[in-house]
Amino acid sequence: MRAGLTLAALLLIAIAPAWLAGAQAKKNTKATPAPALPEPMRNLGSKTAPITLEVFSDYECPTCREFYENTLKLMMSSYIAEGKVYFVHRDFPLPGHKYSLDAARWEIAASRIGKFQEVDAALYDNQRAWAADGSVEKYVQGALSAADFKRVRSQVEGCLTQTVAAVKPAAQTNHICAVDNYIAEDKALGQQLPVTGTPTYVIYRNGQRLTSGSGFVSWKIMKEFFDSLGTQ
Amino acid sequence: MTTEGRGHLGRILLLIGRLALAVVFLAAAYAKLKPPIPAMPWSLASVKASLSMFAMSVDSYELLPPVAVDLVAHLLPPFELFLGLWLLSGIALRFSSLVTTLLLGGFFSVIVRSYVVGLEIKCGCMGQDEVLGPKTLLRDASLLALSLAITIGAFVVARRRAQAVASEAAPAIQHGD
Repeated sequence: MRAGLTLAALLLIAIAPAWLAGAQAKKNTKATPAPALPEPMRNLGSKTAPITLEVFSDYECPTCREFYENTLKLMMSSYIAEGKVYFVHRDFPLPGHKYSLDAARWEIAASRIGKFQEVDAALYDNQRAWAADGSVEKYVQGALSAADFKRVRSQVEGCLTQTVAAVKPAAQTNHICAVDNYIAEDKALGQQLPVTGTPTYVIYRNGQRLTSGSGFVSWKIMKEFFDSLGTQ
Repeated sequence: MTTEGRGHLGRILLLIGRLALAVVFLAAAYAKLKPPIPAMPWSLASVKASLSMFAMSVDSYELLPPVAVDLVAHLLPPFELFLGLWLLSGIALRFSSLVTTLLLGGFFSVIVRSYVVGLEIKCGCMGQDEVLGPKTLLRDASLLALSLAITIGAFVVARRRAQAVASEAAPAIQHGD
């Protein structure tokens, strides 16, 4: 009898932690909300690159498209891919452009599922078409798989009709559009510079700000500057 | 005021204007040639980096092909330095001020064109951070007016001097007869 009681006690001691751990795990599962989407990944290249290029742009601005098509695209396939330049994209939709804010929202939503480059390219490549009729969604859809598009679409739902003036950090409003928080952050950063037009670029070398500029710069000229800083 | 007094004042104004223009050109050249990072020492490499940085400003005007942008960006700052020193020296002021007026006229027309077509760019005139706007137009117009006034003044002074020399020489020639 005594031996039986001892055995039962030992069994209880052995089982108790496992039972408690199981109960805790169950409790944790109940408390954990659905996994949140990550921060938008709008940066390209290696963070350890000696040069960082930060670009504030507006998807509807023709000079931004020119800069993307003739400079950034070439840089992405060379200096960014080779780890010489780290690229940071910032959204700075201008009030005069009817659809640029919506375009930025789509791009941020896509960036949160790791599809920045695809949507960035689709928006610039088709700028003339969607800027004329507002068909941003069509070109975003064309750049993504059906499943990805569904995930992106769900993030911008209910946001697309708002204007640039409505974009403020969530702390200041009862805003439900999470993507707008990122645009508001970028705009606040831009206003500190200050950004007076798009595209505006800021160049850093080993974290130290070197220069900033606005407007179009060809890849040949920008590359020469990077080379003069000793990237080769 | 007597003619002599007016001439004296004119020469003083010419001197002040000439020195002001020289300082502007020397400052503009320095802003473009100085190392892009304050901690970087002056060297051939730092000058090369600064000129390449200036090339980006020139390119943003969207006026020239990249080869010409390179040429302008690498020649303009040394030329501004030369012009500043030339104006400072006062040697052949008629010609140094004329070259300055032509250069400033060129700058002004480029800036007016860029402003009219709505380019939202950095001027690149006196360093990297100045945005091209009404202030730039006003400053460049003032410099152009100053330079034009100095050029006219320098030619007038030179002409008067030549007339004075001629009138001094004329009686001597008559006496010689």
